[in-house]
Formats: sequence, structure tokens, C-alpha cells
Amino acid sequence: MNRVPDRNFDALVTPTRIHRSLYTDPALFELEMERIWGQSWIFIGHESQVPNPGDFFTTHVNHNIPVVMIRDKDGSVNVLHNRCGHKGAKVVEARSGTVRGALRCGYHGWSYRFDGSLLKIPNEKGYENTGFDPQSACYSMQRLAQVDSYRGFVFATLSSDAPTLQTWMGGARECFDNLCDRAPEGEVEVAGGVLRYEHECNWKFILENLNDTMHPMVVHESVVKAAEQYIATLPDDAVNERREAEIIPPFGASYEKFEDSGITGFDYGHHYDGGKTSIHADYSVDPEYHAAMIASYGEERTREIYAFNTHNVCFYPSLTIKCAVQNIRVIRPISVGRFIVETWSFRLKGAPDSMLQRTLLYSRLINSSMGMVGPDDLEVYRRTQEGLASPSNDWVEFHRQYGKDQQLPDRVVGGGTSDLDMRTQYRAWKAYMEGSIFSAKRSERASMGETQ
Amino acid sequence: MNQRQAVEDFLYHEASLLDRPDLDTWVSLFTEDGRYWMPAAEDQADPINHISHVYDDRVMMEIRRRNFVHPRASSKDWPVRCSHLIGNIRIHIDPSADSSAPDSGSATGDVLTVTSNQHVVVWYRDEQRVYAYRGTHRLLCAGNQFAIREKRVDLINPDAPQRSLIIYL
Repeated sequence: MNRVPDRNFDALVTPTRIHRSLYTDPALFELEMERIWGQSWIFIGHESQVPNPGDFFTTHVNHNIPVVMIRDKDGSVNVLHNRCGHKGAKVVEARSGTVRGALRCGYHGWSYRFDGSLLKIPNEKGYENTGFDPQSACYSMQRLAQVDSYRGFVFATLSSDAPTLQTWMGGARECFDNLCDRAPEGEVEVAGGVLRYEHECNWKFILENLNDTMHPMVVHESVVKAAEQYIATLPDDAVNERREAEIIPPFGASYEKFEDSGITGFDYGHHYDGGKTSIHADYSVDPEYHAAMIASYGEERTREIYAFNTHNVCFYPSLTIKCAVQNIRVIRPISVGRFIVETWSFRLKGAPDSMLQRTLLYSRLINSSMGMVGPDDLEVYRRTQEGLASPSNDWVEFHRQYGKDQQLPDRVVGGGTSDLDMRTQYRAWKAYMEGSIFSAKRSERASMGETQ
Repeated sequence: MNQRQAVEDFLYHEASLLDRPDLDTWVSLFTEDGRYWMPAAEDQADPINHISHVYDDRVMMEIRRRNFVHPRASSKDWPVRCSHLIGNIRIHIDPSADSSAPDSGSATGDVLTVTSNQHVVVWYRDEQRVYAYRGTHRLLCAGNQFAIREKRVDLINPDAPQRSLIIYL
């Protein structure tokens, strides 16, 4: 996709600042939907949401392009445009469910196989000798340009130029490995439903905030203090109450603790904080779960799995995962000032129910619209959205530890309170918007002698 | 005062504490093992193995009420005021009985199940919002004194994208 930029993106993004219009300009939002969300691999869902042939899940690949993920009769998972080949009606309206036999449009009854190919048109003889070709792909429910999954996580892209899913994930792929390896059986499955949380601000704020380690001790100070004040009132034998309350205070971890956790950035805008340690590192390990892990992996490998401890891993732009907590958040943009966050929780196969219950407790307390952490984050995003209407300063800066980022072969690493994650995602943002991200990477790979 | 009047008065009292809101007093209406539950799905059976918007025990209520008035809680910088309107109150003597069973008005058991329809207008962030739910109170009763063992809030749109909600409904 070699486009000539129709805007001067050099004037909007520099290595250490971005222009405020990135958050406020509806025209830029439309361009983002076309050039970032329309090119990047986008997270669609997890294979466990569609276990049997005909099971489906509907969503959007960007702010408005409807897609359906459906399990085919041969066991494969397809991601199709949710558009009838006839008049264009959405074929599948429910959010999830099971289709028997074939997908059928509710308007004129055209039906489709689970791979999207056209099966039948009612009263078909009217098309005879009209030049209509029922074999033409344009009369099918078309598959997205590329569809692939990694350890059950299904992604799709509208771009045929995008590199393979695994190339695109790069080194951040090991975070999916860690999430799944935390299951004694090495697999995870979606469990316990979904939370949908409406955010009245630009979609990029949440991705910036994930690994912004300079905010928790400010934004979440009050709930940490409230938890600590409460814990101080507990008698010594109130073990259960204490254990339950312990989920909150890590959100007020010190600057030093966050500094030690480190931040890592990758090609295409992915980033995470943590690795050796994170704010999730000190949770107590469930003994029954630990025994199942030892039985599956042995002592040494189990310790290795626990030791890789990331906080938030961002797969730019649509997904963030928490390996140690086993939940994910999916970003669904709507408009320049609005998006939805979906929180999905996962069961570690082979682990006791207590692990899923802990995951759900976390999702509920932290990520719910009535959580103790999420609403304070959203409040500061909204203040930022409103504040950026001010013409007093056109720029949002991210200089922290600039010049100290360390470039390794497949990643950039830096201190845990660095703005490295900001520099990483806005480098990718600019390359996507200029239309050059895949061609540039392709020539880079070619010059390094790699083959696709 | 008959039991029905006493139950109604209790629900109105509880709602008035949330209207103000006075969470410190409101929390004290719950038993030590009391729960506040807002499911995230229609007819949700399980609060532990399925996600909810809230499923608070006293531990979380104690943290929330302290956070609610903390000067550094930015989402609470905005005043919150509510107006609960309660109707369709029904008292179910045996929780396992048909939920459409009419109020017999002669409860003798220790736990009453009371269902109601509640419409709540919430003023927050310079905006009024409307919530509607079916409330299910499980009340521990001694004469006409009540304590809440569980308050279940079934929103009519539990699976919709929700906006920040910083007050119990």
C-alpha cells in the first residue's frame, strides 16, 4: 500500500511529541480507521467462543465494518465480512449464537456456507442469462484479506500487504505463550462473560495509559489509601478480608518499583511493562493450582513461567492482555471522542475454579464501569480530552528518558517510568498513517536477508 | 405497623441514603455477610464464576465508602445525587416459591425476599442519566427490624456498554 501522505505527518508526530489534533480531529479519526485499523491485524475473538461448527461471534474490525467469526464444518475458524452479497444487509445480527446448516440473510433469503461462499438464491432462475455469475466472490460473504490465530487468539486484517500474524506480533508473541503456559494444560478458554465499558474520549488514551507508570500513584492514590485504612482496622485473624483487600494496594506502587519493572517496545507499536517483575508479581499462589502446574511442567519450568511477569501487554491498536491475571481488554473505537472497552476473562485449562474466580474478581474490581480503578482512569482521560481543546499549547510531550532507550535486535528496552511506550506507539501510528509501515518493514526484512 | 408497611419504609429509607448519598450509614444496613450484586447478564445465576458489574461483600463496601469521600478520588470530584423511585413492591415469603406469588402479608420466617422495580435518576458530571432495574432484597428480619443479606440489582440492560458508575444503585 504505497500511498502518498495527504497530510504532513511530520508536522503532527515528532520523536518526543504529538499534535493535539490526534485526539480531537474527526477527519484524522476517519483516516486512523482506514490506515491503522484498516491495515493492522485486529483482534477478533478467541476460538473457544465458537467451539462447534456453526457457532459464531459478531463484532467490528474497526469503528463500523461488521464482521462475523464462525466455526466451519472442517473445524477451521473463519472471519467474514458480515454483509450479504446481494443488497448488503448484515447477515448475522445476534452478538453470538449458533447457525444450523447455513447462514441466511433475513432480507431475500440468500444463504451462505460457513466459509462465506454462496449456497443458494431463492427462485434462482430469474438470474439466468443476465450475466450474473453466482461463482463471483463479490456475491459471497467475503473473507477478510488475512485471518490467522495464535494459541487460540483470532486476528484478521483488511490488508493483504500485512506480514504474517506471527511476524507482526514479533517478540511480544511470548506474552501469549506465557498467558497460555500458565494453564497446566497449556491452553486457555473464554469464561464468565464480558464487561462492556463505554469511554467518552479518544481510543488512544487507554493504550497510552496501560504502561504509563507515572500515573497510578496519583490517579489511584485514593482507593489505595482507602484499602490501607480499612486493612489497618482488621484484627490479625481476619485472613480472608486481608487477602481480598490485597488486590488494591499494588496500584499505588512506588516510582522505584515501577522503574524496576522496565518497559519494552516492539515493531508495529506493541509494548509492555514488566517482564522480570510487575505489580502483579506479589500475588499469593493458590496451592492447588501450584500443584497442578508442578505436575504438568516440573519445578524449574513452573518457576520460569511465573517469573515472566508482565503488567499490560499492548498489541497495537486493538488488544491488551494481562498474562498473570488472565484477562484481556479489547478496544472498539466508535468516533473521535468515544470507544468501548470489552473485558474478557479466561479459564486456565487444568487449573482449579479458584483461578477463574480470582480472574473475575480482578476484572470486576479493576475493569468494571463500577470498578475501583477504571473510573478514575477514565476521569483523567476525559479531562485530557477536554483540556486539549485549549489552543494554548498544540503539543503533548513524551520526553521521559528520551535518548536512553536501548535498541536490541527485535525490541527497544528502557526504564519502567520511561515514555518509551509512547515513542513506540506513535512511531507506528505515523508509519501506518503515511501508508508506509508494511512496505518499509518489508524492505528492512529483505535487506536483513530474511524471507517471509 | 403491618409488615408490608415496615418493608416499604425500609426500602424507602435505604433508597434515601443512596439518594443523598450517605454510604457510611447505607453500608451499616447490611449484615456482616451481606452482599450487593449487580449482574452483567440477564438471569445470571452465579456471581462467582461469571462476571458482574459489582459483587461486593462488606470488605469492598468498606473500601468503597472510604474512597467515596477521599479528596484525591478524581472520579468523585463531581457531585453525585440520585433520585430513586420505587414501585411494584412484592413480598415473597418463601424465596423458592413462585416469584409471582402474591403478598400474603403474614411472614413468620427469618428471611424475606422483596422484589421491586426501581427507576433511578443519577446526576453526575453535569448530566442526568436514567437506570431501571428489578431489585431483589433478601432481608433478615426480627419483628419489623431489617438487615440486608443481599441486594440484587438486575438492570434492564445488564449486557449493554455501561458508563462509569460511582454510586451503588
